[in-house]
Amino acid sequence: MSSREPMWYCHECQAEMRPLMVPDPHCASCNGTFVERIEDEVNDPRDFQASGPAYEDPAGVDPGFNGFLMNLSQLLGPGGPNPARRGSSAGSPPAPFGGSTMGGSGFRLEINRSSPGGGNRHFVIGDPPPLRNRGATSLPEGDNANPQIAGPLMAQYLISLLSQRRPANVRDNPFAAFDFMGGGPEEGRWGDYVFNQEALDQIITQLMENSNSTRPVPATEEVIEKLDRQVLEEGSPTLERDCAVCKEQFSLHTEDPDEQVVVTLPCKHPFHEGCIMPWLKSSGTCPVCRHQLVPQPEHHTPGAGPAGDSTSPPTGTTPPSASISPNNNRFTSIFDLMNAASSSSGLTRSGNQSSSQTRTQPSQPSSSSQHPNHPDSHDDDIPGGWVD
Amino acid sequence: MSTVYTRRLSKELAEIQTETKPPIGIRLLKADDFETWIFEIEVLGDSLYRGERFGLKFRFDNSYPFSAPAVQFVVDSGMKAPVHPHVYTNGHICASILGDDWSPTLSVMAVCITIQSMLASCKRKELPEGNDTYVRTAPDNPKKTHFVYDDDTSPFPSNRV
Repeated sequence: MSSREPMWYCHECQAEMRPLMVPDPHCASCNGTFVERIEDEVNDPRDFQASGPAYEDPAGVDPGFNGFLMNLSQLLGPGGPNPARRGSSAGSPPAPFGGSTMGGSGFRLEINRSSPGGGNRHFVIGDPPPLRNRGATSLPEGDNANPQIAGPLMAQYLISLLSQRRPANVRDNPFAAFDFMGGGPEEGRWGDYVFNQEALDQIITQLMENSNSTRPVPATEEVIEKLDRQVLEEGSPTLERDCAVCKEQFSLHTEDPDEQVVVTLPCKHPFHEGCIMPWLKSSGTCPVCRHQLVPQPEHHTPGAGPAGDSTSPPTGTTPPSASISPNNNRFTSIFDLMNAASSSSGLTRSGNQSSSQTRTQPSQPSSSSQHPNHPDSHDDDIPGGWVD
Repeated sequence: MSTVYTRRLSKELAEIQTETKPPIGIRLLKADDFETWIFEIEVLGDSLYRGERFGLKFRFDNSYPFSAPAVQFVVDSGMKAPVHPHVYTNGHICASILGDDWSPTLSVMAVCITIQSMLASCKRKELPEGNDTYVRTAPDNPKKTHFVYDDDTSPFPSNRV
């Protein structure tokens, strides 16, 4: 890549870099996908960060969950959050929380959280922020008229409600209305969301036992940077060889000059730079001989014996898992968790930076685990990910 | 670099269709695009699957060949999955090269040959344990299942040691 090309900015780890095109741009630093080309000074993405990310696009929030929150606010509160929207329904008391009445659902959930970089993150579900959030100017007087619960307090309120066991009397259960959406919050879980420590522990246990132990470990940035890179030259012996990834012979006569950059791994196997980099981002091994650039997990080691299996019995409410053979050939059917598992492992593995590791926090914006009902919407950072 | 995806598949398809024909027992049924290919797999010679024919479906996305294609046996009105300890009745296959052991140097034909040989070496026609549970809850795409792989050289470890 030539140095004339503009730099890109990663909104996830705040790095300036040249992205990996695999084929969509990925941050070269944290492998995130929320990257932007730094093109003109008027619209510099770095300014966005400097002024503070005040508002995350609610369009990214699953409409089902948004509706859930909206209904929740109506069911739990003494009345609807937005009297105007409810029309003539009699005697609607003031909105219990989430103050804004600027249209839309009138419901709003805000979570403030310190980001790894030190700044504050502001995560919003619901309507656009009221004016009071947009700066020091033009504070509407009426906004202070109603007592409001917002920010962390609001989140706590929701969490405490949701973590309660489902009551036997369904009529009293505010979540009964959501049964059509695939089950209410049972055992502190609602879809991919967990609302109490017990449920979270359960998921962590499942992930530890089942999902990460054998997945490939990607090469670190440091390892990748130190790899031997050469531009093909006339008479180079490499010209007689093939790139094992694209299966094509190295050539000086390519339209794209990038295809003349050859990376040779320590095991002496050569690849086009564009062919090997996406792979190393998912697995730090040589595709040909599996030479390990970074230590890989040992898996299905012959002779491990059945003992290994007995150490990980299914926990109490783990969804059914089955043995294929008497040994350790099992599958796990935690499919609704698979993407959470995959993303978190993918993110963690890409993480030679603390920022990307902490992205698995549930309230971090712009992570794929944000959208439980569309868990497959972008699995780009999962090796073996599939977009339906 | 999305071009690797289409270039690789074009190259593989050209080899399958013209240059080097697939090994005996493997036949291309459908490859109209770079999303879904279907092969017919037959195990010839002395095996438990003598006389049976199976459909093997590949689904690709632009992460190929950096991640494995989604591979499963075709299960429809006319075709059934083989009865095999690593093959579920919905067609999903538990094979490490389709998951953690995938390498971009592998190819569609390499997968076909591996699956064919997996069938050929089968000693006992039986369903995977927990087949019903899995089939009931399995995702459409087998790649969303995280299989834990057995040692391939020893499908019945209880016989070992």
